[in-house]
Amino acid sequence: MPYFREEEARAIIQDTYGHVRSDRAAVAEAFYAPEELARLPRGAAELALGVGHPVGHAALQPGEVVLDLGCGAGIDTLLAAFAVGPGGRVIGLDMTPEMAERTQQHAAAADLANVEVREGLIEEIPLSDASVDVVLSNGVLNLSTRKSRALAETMRVLRPGGRVSLSDLILTEALPEDVLKSPAALAG
Amino acid sequence: MLLKKFFNVGFEEIVVAERKPFGLGELTRYPLFTKEFLEFLKKIMPPHRHEELVFSIVLTARKPRDATAA
Repeated sequence: MPYFREEEARAIIQDTYGHVRSDRAAVAEAFYAPEELARLPRGAAELALGVGHPVGHAALQPGEVVLDLGCGAGIDTLLAAFAVGPGGRVIGLDMTPEMAERTQQHAAAADLANVEVREGLIEEIPLSDASVDVVLSNGVLNLSTRKSRALAETMRVLRPGGRVSLSDLILTEALPEDVLKSPAALAG
Repeated sequence: MLLKKFFNVGFEEIVVAERKPFGLGELTRYPLFTKEFLEFLKKIMPPHRHEELVFSIVLTARKPRDATAA
């Protein structure tokens, strides 16, 4: 049972992620290797808010086109950009303007010319059919009230044979209703 | 549920490549959660779930190679 309407959920998430600040990289240090983090602007690591390491399981190849759904401050976008090289391309998509701007800034700071950032919804991906080789996502699908729609859009933009590598949180036992009704739990 | 959604949309080769417990300790890393919210969770969740509130997974999948464009 949804506790938040779609617009309400989106507003809570945008507000939370638009205003989040951090001066430590505890999340990034839990999931990424030191040598990976050493290549990135500090801000990309400090604002890593994912729940796993989807790039690590994506088998990215030079020249591939990658879409990072809900790119946040760009940690996975940037690591993917290093992996696919100058012959490849990575598109970071985020609905929160502040996060999209951060990814753009971090890509520039990392001297990555193969990163493009777009504002938009994962449920309405602003890309053509069959235009990407790989879709990444890290702790984002659980924030959507239309997960099946987001997955259908993912399917649409992937080329035949294209791959998804997604990290997210799953429940194996229900959470109390008071937790499910909490905006903090929704956005986190 | 998530795997079922992937299957229903038409993905193939769906694999859970990684699955790890995610508890209160993990949540303290995130600037998204206040100390008050974490205390609230600690009180409301039974002790046996403090180290396993949810699970984090990495899931990989593939679009069928013979899929036509949408």
